[in-house]
Amino acid sequence: MELTEAQLDAMKELGNIGASHAATSLSTMLMSEIYMTVPEARVIDISEISEHFGDEIAALVVFEIQGEISPGGYVILHIPKDSAINLTNTMLGSTDSDRELNEMDESALLEVGNIMVSQFLDATAALLGVVMLPSPPAIAIDMSHAAFASVVAQVAVDINEIILFKTELSCSTHNIESTIVMLPDENTLKTILSLLEKIIS
Amino acid sequence: MEQSKKPEIKGTNIGIGELKTGNFIMTSIGLGSCIAVVLHDRKRSVGGVAHVMLPNSNEKKDRPGKFADTAVPAIMDELIADGSNKRDIIAKIAGGSSMFKQFKGNLDIGGRNIEAVKEALGSYNIPLEGEDTGGSVGRSIMYDPGRKGVIVVRRADGTCLEI
Repeated sequence: MELTEAQLDAMKELGNIGASHAATSLSTMLMSEIYMTVPEARVIDISEISEHFGDEIAALVVFEIQGEISPGGYVILHIPKDSAINLTNTMLGSTDSDRELNEMDESALLEVGNIMVSQFLDATAALLGVVMLPSPPAIAIDMSHAAFASVVAQVAVDINEIILFKTELSCSTHNIESTIVMLPDENTLKTILSLLEKIIS
Repeated sequence: MEQSKKPEIKGTNIGIGELKTGNFIMTSIGLGSCIAVVLHDRKRSVGGVAHVMLPNSNEKKDRPGKFADTAVPAIMDELIADGSNKRDIIAKIAGGSSMFKQFKGNLDIGGRNIEAVKEALGSYNIPLEGEDTGGSVGRSIMYDPGRKGVIVVRRADGTCLEI
C-alpha cells in the first residue's frame, strides 16, 4: 500500500474535521476544555503495531463502519485504564479512582464512545458526501495490543500494512487521555481517497 | 502453575505475522485473537516463535508467520536447517481469545486460530505439550529456550502462569 504525501495530508484533514466534532461532543459531556492533537496518518506494517499499542490495560470501544461503504472497516476509541476511570468518575459524579472498571463504567464508556464516534463519522461522511454509520459498539477492557490486533485481524487478511489514522483528545482538568483511530477497510480507503481527490480538484 | 510474583516480560518481541528462531529470549506481547506458536527443541535449547494472526494463508507465501498453516512448517524448517532433529521438537501455544463478544457474524477468529494451529501441529506430528488458549482475556508471553521450553504467560487480569 503506497500513499502519497498529498493523500496522507488529505486523510489528516479529514481526521481533523471528524475529530474536532468528536472533541466538541466530549467537551459538552464533560463541561471542560478538550485539547486535540494534529491528526496522524501513516502506513505501518502489522508487525509494528506493538510499537503503538502495548500490553497496558485500556478500554477500547469499537464500531464497524456501516452505511454506503460496507464493509467499511472500524473506528476505535482507545482510552487508557486510568483515563477511563477518570472519565466515568467525572460523568457519574464519583471520586474513587483506585478501582477496577466495572459494568457501570462499561456502559458509560459505550455511551461516550457512541456519541463521539457518531459525531466523528457524521462529520467525515458529510465532507465526503457519503453515508457512514457506526454499528452498535463493542467494548473490551484488556491489553491495548490484544484488543487492537483482534480488530486488525478482521481487515488484514490480504494486506500486511494498515493505515494508522489517529487523533488524540485530552482533558487536563480531569486528567483524561483518549485516541480515536480509524481503521478503514482496503476498499473503503480507496473510496475515501478518490472522494477526497474529487473534493481537492 | 500459578505464581504470586509477576515476572517481567522482556526479550525480543515477535510482532504480528513475524517469526523468529534462535536461542535468545523471545516475547509476544498483547495476544488477543492472535496465537503465539512456540516450537522448542528439547535437546539443543533452541526454538522459534511465530505470532499467528489468521488461520489460513490461502496459498499466500509472503509472510509465513502470519498464518497458522504456514507458520508451523516455517518454524520447523528453520529449526531443522539449523540442526534440530524433528523428533526433539515439541510445541506450546498461547492466545486465541475472543475479545469482542458483541460482534456477531464476525466469526470467532481466536477459536479458528486455535483449531488451525492444532491441525497444523497434528499434520506435522509435533506434540502439543502446553497451552493457555481461548477465553476472552489478552495475554503476553515470554519464552526462554534455555529454560527447557518453559513459557511464562501473563494474562490481562494480572494472573501469571507457566506452561
